[in-house]
Amino acid sequence: MGQILSVLDVVKHYGKVKAVDGVSFEVAAGRITGLLGRNGAGKTTTLRMITGVLHPDRGRVELFGATVAEARDRLGYLPEERGLYRKMRVLDHLLFLAEIKGRSPAAMRPSAERWLKRFELWEKRDGKVEELSKGNQQKVQLAGALLFDPELVILDEPGSGLDPVNVVLVRRLLQELAAEGKAILLSTHQMGEAEKLCDEIVLVHDGKVVKAGPLAEVKAAGGRDAVHVEFEGDGAFLAGLPGVASGRVDPNRAELRLAPGADPQELLATAVGRLRILRFEVVAPSLEEVFLEAVGGGGPAEVAA
Amino acid sequence: MRKLWAVLKREYRETVRKPSFLVMTVLAPFLMAALMVVPALLAVKGMGERRVAILDGTGRLGSVVAALEKESPGGRSPFARGGREGRGGGPTGKILPEHVNLFGVDPKNAVGPYLARLSKEATPEEQLLDGVLLIPADAFERPVTSLTYFSRSAVDLLAQEKLGRVVNRALQRERLAARGLAPSEVELLLAPLPVRTVQVTKSGQERTGGEGSFLVAMVFMALLFIPSLVYGQEVMRGVIQEKTDRVVEILVSSMTPMELLSGKILGMAAVGLTQMAVWMTMGGFLLGSGLSQAQTAGLDLSTILRPSVAVWFVVFFLLSYLVTVGAYAAGGSIVSSEKEAQQVLTPVMIVFMVPWFLMMPILTNPDSTLSVVLSLVPIYTPMTMFIRILVSEPPAWQVALSLVLSVATIAFLLKATAKIFRAGLLATGKRPTIPELWHWLKAA
Repeated sequence: MGQILSVLDVVKHYGKVKAVDGVSFEVAAGRITGLLGRNGAGKTTTLRMITGVLHPDRGRVELFGATVAEARDRLGYLPEERGLYRKMRVLDHLLFLAEIKGRSPAAMRPSAERWLKRFELWEKRDGKVEELSKGNQQKVQLAGALLFDPELVILDEPGSGLDPVNVVLVRRLLQELAAEGKAILLSTHQMGEAEKLCDEIVLVHDGKVVKAGPLAEVKAAGGRDAVHVEFEGDGAFLAGLPGVASGRVDPNRAELRLAPGADPQELLATAVGRLRILRFEVVAPSLEEVFLEAVGGGGPAEVAA
Repeated sequence: MRKLWAVLKREYRETVRKPSFLVMTVLAPFLMAALMVVPALLAVKGMGERRVAILDGTGRLGSVVAALEKESPGGRSPFARGGREGRGGGPTGKILPEHVNLFGVDPKNAVGPYLARLSKEATPEEQLLDGVLLIPADAFERPVTSLTYFSRSAVDLLAQEKLGRVVNRALQRERLAARGLAPSEVELLLAPLPVRTVQVTKSGQERTGGEGSFLVAMVFMALLFIPSLVYGQEVMRGVIQEKTDRVVEILVSSMTPMELLSGKILGMAAVGLTQMAVWMTMGGFLLGSGLSQAQTAGLDLSTILRPSVAVWFVVFFLLSYLVTVGAYAAGGSIVSSEKEAQQVLTPVMIVFMVPWFLMMPILTNPDSTLSVVLSLVPIYTPMTMFIRILVSEPPAWQVALSLVLSVATIAFLLKATAKIFRAGLLATGKRPTIPELWHWLKAA
């Protein structure tokens, strides 16, 4: 399927700080693309350049083969922070959000009603936005980004502020939209969530793309050299064994990366001698490990936060 | 266009739905009326009666008392036509004279007990004096002497002025009579002639009623300025709210800053027009009776309130509105809180209000260099040029030039504001420095 969005070598400075430094990637119809990176990596700035909120200092963004300004009405946007008029009534607000995308409010009313019902907000349609819970406001915002049926949906941290039930609801919804052929670009720092959701990933760090491609390929490129061990006993010695390149040992659990050519069988043999092994698995590394390896530093806890 | 319309509609609907809008719309005319009537009432009441002892060293000025009684309680309002004396309700209040004949005695020697009666503590209510006027015994003979007025208040100017005038008139009368003139001749000699102002227009037409211009000009200036200020603040508040609510990101990603800005400004203009329409319906009756009252009070406003003035008023109101609201919108976009906005905007507003402070020189000299220059400076055009048109006849080329300059400035201001708006809307936290603002203007 065709390219919906092309980001071509965009650069953005804030004063002397280079927030985005030559980022390029593409988003295709029917795919969910994840823009991953730590806080401050340049994700939001990149998304803002795509949505036309910011102009790149250099490089350009093509939407549907046109400029952002020409194609902005075909794009739905969920910003990182909730951006709603607090005093407006919910249904009025949704219709306003459709109207500023160039749609007639009368024509969009059925769609607005459908989304409100789907998000279980129909009862609250005449209430003010500020009367809703944070999670419900997020859902109103999401409905606002979707109700005019955009071909490209851009979501900045869609999971933030949602409870686990709603996270699943949003995940299903996005998969459904992708199945309908819409292009979806989302940013997140939650690698676990991205791994469950994304078809394509773009890893950014310090304003640069460090890895990009289909999720499976990115992970496979790392090789099947990760060993996950669950055990009883003191496993601190595992990280220091010969053949282990790096690793993280938690109580009762370890994720190790093997050095090239090392044999996981030998590792298992050593471990069995000193620990009670509950599980031993040779796998492709998780996205989190791939990410950590690519950016070369930082504790995993910082990334997963 | 649809997007601009969407913003306009939202702005209008959300403002009109606010309870504060309803309250303002219904109550404002009453507040205005109260503001105009209450000070007048207070002034009349506050001036009240003045009990003044007149220590007459000449012993021949008993007529002063009669003259003061004839004049009170009226007096001339500064706006009344010359020659109409003794109309009720003037601001100078009533003077109750107590004439003390000290024939031949130097009043300085007799003043002690009267001065004691000025003290509120030591004097019973019915004995209390508000002032003591000394007329020296040689008041007729010596040209170089003076009247002395003792009073509790250092700034009892109106009573002082009035006493001085009446006593001097009586002195003149007596001096003339002493030189053998018959009372009727004295009357003739001293009869004051009123001044009638006639404005001659270029077409040779004559207009009277210049005295009313001052009041009318003041009202018009307020009308040109205050609504713009009120709605400007409303727009600014809205912009700041959008920043704190982070709605701007959605707005800016959906439309051009120009569409957003125009929608907001026009939406607020629609709110203003609604409010004005309500007020005009409410005030129509008041205005009608007010005009006829002014007429009977000697203010002929028909020449100043001519139909062309209404047209000019609309034109200059729009100019004033666009300049002010544009400035407020830009101000709102570069700051992050309302408090901060006030700090930034107060100096700007004072600059904008220059014509208000210079109203007297402009009014009295509408074709002076100062007036002409001010009326051609775009931010001052609305007020100054309108006043000039009101009280004078500025050359057509000056009017045309001022309009062209204003429209060009507004176009530039809106464009610049739209740019500042875009950059400022997204910047939160620190207020931008002037170089940063300049950078924003050049970028985007």
